[in-house]
Amino acid sequence: MAALLRGLRAGRTLRGLCSVVSAPPAANPQCSGLTRGIHCAALRLQDESKSDKPPPSSSSTTHHEHYQTHSAEQASTSDPAAEEASRPNTSYQDQSGEQGEEYETEEQLQVRILNAALEFVPLHGWSMEAIAAGAETLDLSSASTGMFYNGAGDLVLHFVSHCNSQLTEILAEQHKQVQLGQAEQKRTADFLRDAVETRLRMHIPYIESWPQAMSILLLPHNIPNSLKHLSTLVDDIWFYAGDRSTDMNWYTKRAALTGIYNTTELVMVQDSSTDFQDTWNFLDNRIQDVVNMAGTAKQVQSTGEAVVQGLMGAAFTLKNLTGLNQKR
Amino acid sequence: MLERPVWSYFCPGESSAAELTRLQCAPAPRDSEEKEMLDRMLRVDHAGEYGANRIYAGQMAVLGRSRTGPLIQVWDVKEHLEKFNEILAENRVRPTALLPLWNIAGFVLGASSALLGKEGAMACTVAVEESISEHYNSQIRALMEKDPERYTELLQVIKEFRDDEMEHHDTGLEHDAESIPGYWLLKNAIQLGCKAAIYVSQRV
Repeated sequence: MAALLRGLRAGRTLRGLCSVVSAPPAANPQCSGLTRGIHCAALRLQDESKSDKPPPSSSSTTHHEHYQTHSAEQASTSDPAAEEASRPNTSYQDQSGEQGEEYETEEQLQVRILNAALEFVPLHGWSMEAIAAGAETLDLSSASTGMFYNGAGDLVLHFVSHCNSQLTEILAEQHKQVQLGQAEQKRTADFLRDAVETRLRMHIPYIESWPQAMSILLLPHNIPNSLKHLSTLVDDIWFYAGDRSTDMNWYTKRAALTGIYNTTELVMVQDSSTDFQDTWNFLDNRIQDVVNMAGTAKQVQSTGEAVVQGLMGAAFTLKNLTGLNQKR
Repeated sequence: MLERPVWSYFCPGESSAAELTRLQCAPAPRDSEEKEMLDRMLRVDHAGEYGANRIYAGQMAVLGRSRTGPLIQVWDVKEHLEKFNEILAENRVRPTALLPLWNIAGFVLGASSALLGKEGAMACTVAVEESISEHYNSQIRALMEKDPERYTELLQVIKEFRDDEMEHHDTGLEHDAESIPGYWLLKNAIQLGCKAAIYVSQRV
């Protein structure tokens, strides 16, 4: 397996090098375009791996990753010593996996690959091809897509969770502004509308392929995760909207917002108006519906209470009449 | 005007704005396991206080006009419920979905025990308060085992509430709770119901 990967890397780099003779071993970036390229790539990899947090990852995966990158460098230059000198920290002889910052966990690597893969979604859709293309831009073999057991599902779920965290950051920032008195607290309906609009706008770059993403999220093995992301999203939005309820309202509010969000998302994927104006109008109307319903519910409740009062009064009168109301 | 929100001077590690309104009753959970444990505890405590309020409301509905009315009134500690409402909101804990059920069940329990007379109401109170105190004690034990310093404020709150409940329990015993026929049966049936309610509220 390792030999195959090495062969693939070697083949690709040799094709890239074309007719260029292997460069003289020099760390001087002015030597030639080729060495500069290799040196830059090496430094970039070194910087990237240095900026990763120190994790206790499984030594075999880091070993594998570094072997891949190390062997890539080896194939493209005739002097591995120069490369080792310029990247002294990524020695694959160290298998402890805990030394220094240059070892990243498998999750961090997956995140990097998926982030890179998002660029290729408009081209390849939400699929393994996009992930493979993303892996290649990071100078990793496209066979590293084998890490993603869920395939396209991993990519879509990663995107969804990434968007959710972005939204949470934006909402937290707004909340801080309000706390510090630098901004006005919006009305609930406006807040909800802005939050949902902000979140849905994050889909715009991928709107062509979004129906595919939605169908991937609905696959049975993805449903638990997509529901979890959706419920976290809705809980976050209500929290920053100021909801502090601790009774059934907690559930009804979240259910209502989930309905609004899902239906608006569906409208958005088939909306062809400029800047999705139809979608935002639809969103406005749905939020208005919910507000009206809440108002009606309040009215029903107060009417109900009045009726109960009336009944209690009648019962009390009956008790008086039948003499049950004497103090014992 | 402070440059940063007040809380940030006291908790330098907390940079997430999600903790902006934390009143420090329960610490910010370090991982999802701790969050789940705290969630369960707070959820069931909240459900318990809510149920207790409904039980007393039921008892008041029947015995409010009688001699025992003022006694039961003293027990109606809405502050416990309000405190838990606050804690739940700060910690973003989901309240139990069975609240409407506890609403009705509590009221019915209170009202039916009160229909058995003053001793019935007292017996019900004794049973419920004993259950709740035992439950709070096990929570205190669990928190002490884990990390007493981390949970100091929460422990304080729970201890205070447990002491209040024990007081109600003792008052109930003073007022002839044990004199009702079938006391043992009634008490155990109610306690069994409470245990089941606690178990379910932790999860649903």
